[in-house]
Amino acid sequence: MKHNKLHDVLLVAPGYLVYTVFMIIPLGMCFFYSFTNWDGISKNYKMIGFRNFERLFQDASFFNALKVTLIITVITVLIYNVLGVFLAVILNRKNRVCAFTKSAIFVPTVLSSVVVAFIWSYIMQTDGGIINTVLGAFGIPPVDFYDTPTHTIIMISVIISWNGLGLFLVIYVATLNTIPQELMEAAEVDGANGVQRFFKITLPLMMPGITINSVLSIAGGLKQYDHVKVITGGGPGGATQTITLLSVEKAFSYNRRGYSSAIVLVLFVLIVIVSVIQISITKKREVKY
Amino acid sequence: MKKLVSIILCLLLVFGVCGTTLADETKIVFCVNIQPQLPLEFWQSIADRYMAANPDVKVEIIGNPSSNVTLPEYEKTLLSTNQFPDVMVMQNPADFVPSGALLPFEDGELDYLVDPEVGKIGGKQYVANYKKQIIGVFYNKDMFAANGLEVPDTWDKLVAASDKLLEAGIQPFSLGLKDGWPQGQLANMFAGTDLLAKDLHWGAKRNANEVKFNNPDLVKAMQKYQLICTKYSGDNITGITYTQMLEQFFNGKAAMLPIGSWVNAEVAKGLQDFEVGWFPIPGDENANVVSVFVNEGLSIGAETKYPEICKDFIHFFFTDKELYGEFLKSEQLFSTTKETVEYEMIPLRKEMEEIIAPMLAVEGFESMTGDDAFLPGLKDYFTNKLTQNIAIGADIEAELNAFDQEWEIANEALEDAQ
Repeated sequence: MKHNKLHDVLLVAPGYLVYTVFMIIPLGMCFFYSFTNWDGISKNYKMIGFRNFERLFQDASFFNALKVTLIITVITVLIYNVLGVFLAVILNRKNRVCAFTKSAIFVPTVLSSVVVAFIWSYIMQTDGGIINTVLGAFGIPPVDFYDTPTHTIIMISVIISWNGLGLFLVIYVATLNTIPQELMEAAEVDGANGVQRFFKITLPLMMPGITINSVLSIAGGLKQYDHVKVITGGGPGGATQTITLLSVEKAFSYNRRGYSSAIVLVLFVLIVIVSVIQISITKKREVKY
Repeated sequence: MKKLVSIILCLLLVFGVCGTTLADETKIVFCVNIQPQLPLEFWQSIADRYMAANPDVKVEIIGNPSSNVTLPEYEKTLLSTNQFPDVMVMQNPADFVPSGALLPFEDGELDYLVDPEVGKIGGKQYVANYKKQIIGVFYNKDMFAANGLEVPDTWDKLVAASDKLLEAGIQPFSLGLKDGWPQGQLANMFAGTDLLAKDLHWGAKRNANEVKFNNPDLVKAMQKYQLICTKYSGDNITGITYTQMLEQFFNGKAAMLPIGSWVNAEVAKGLQDFEVGWFPIPGDENANVVSVFVNEGLSIGAETKYPEICKDFIHFFFTDKELYGEFLKSEQLFSTTKETVEYEMIPLRKEMEEIIAPMLAVEGFESMTGDDAFLPGLKDYFTNKLTQNIAIGADIEAELNAFDQEWEIANEALEDAQ
């Protein structure tokens, strides 16, 4: 069949069009507005150079949001990847218990994050929540899951992980299944024990999956919005606010769309830098066979 | 090929005709505030009644899509995407007026209101204020009587009553920070009593940068607020929602509920097994100040194609007594029209009217109107940051200094935009 360039262009055009309209143009507009004082609703605005960025780096609420975002990212990345790899290795067996457990872990993934956040809000409610009601039945005093911002952030991170772990587990199980069984058998014949086989064969050969999951989990953690919005709304006093929550608040509550765009741009750069570093590290560790 | 071209041309013709027909129809979009007491059906009934009286006009209702999106946020989104409604429920006109988004009413157009001057911005009226709400303390009369307590008419007596309730093992106040806004009502009460009662137009002075948030009166008000939050409102204030606040009070777990008069709608349900009373937050010497919210009403978008129809629609809302009465009844509201509008009032609502009659009325601090209104964004800062941080024990003067810094940023942004 003769190669037709027009045919190729027509095939990829819809994808490029959607990507351009919903990604490239908004990103370009965000970049532009970050150098303006646009309030988001006026027809007029002024170019103000780097003033939004100067203000951003003097804004305590930005650094608090950055801290909260990084804590959530670190906790969720660790749970997704360490627990994900561990569970994948444990559950990568063909029996009913493993199949059921994998399905049970995957179920929350198909639920909307907002629904999950609402469910857990009710479960962890201080006054009348399911957990405290059960504890109360045994005469145990109620637990205040919202007593300090740190506890609340940890609680939210665990909820996010519960919601998303299934997807990461599936990717790890799929990666495990690509490892040739002959390698394991050869190592076993050579006298390698289970721990040695895991660290010397399984883990290196799972690197492609780890690369994908790390990028997804880091980017997901840095972009976290919905769970926090539903569970705490960023409160009390902005103590659990993430960067995305802060940018939406500045844009729609404070009428500072230019400033909000600057926040989003910094987040974008942060995600790019972290992802590039992370990919370069994990790619080097990938093993070809 | 000819057949295909003919079909396409026919379709274009049909859609073109339909488009023309739709464009010619007189349609206004009405953006409403959907709440449990005022559901979509209520607002739709207004539109239906108006359309029945004006068959040539179509009224389309839109409302904030989720309780997670506030009405002002939703309206700002509509404005920035060129979908701003023709008529809308307006809560924060000060956020919209600087951008020229609202159409001012002409003098005399709102003469059917008791006070058409209230909330003017730069000498122009942008909102037809449709309700008054007062804030104060609902209390459990039976609990007060059982503990030998009387309604406190000074701050010291309120503290003494709270101590006595604590000693009796009763949580004095029901308060929660989780929803972000309810705790702000108590802060508003103290700010009204200790600050605004001394100067009704303090807000305009703040906007002119003649005074600061960090001043002795507001510091004192916030100290009182902090004491109630940290000592008398239970151990888990951060995890309590508005609904749980209501439950704590109506289930008899807490003795007092500092909130707005809209809670009369809950009292009217009669589900509690005790008698409910109400008092305004007392000052140092007496209790003669009441904070009143007059910030909400109906506004018209500046870009509407049908300004006269919009004004007629608003006039219809206020002058159809059955409709307006139903609106007032939903939250046992205080009317703003010159003509008396009767509706079925609960006894507590009548009692409240008698209690506040001789009192000095000040505007709700966070929702002051007109030239006294907070600069754009500061209302959210007050509820989401300042009052929450102070409620969990933050240093008051440092928080008020931060509020002053936020004012500087908001003012600079406003000056840049003008």
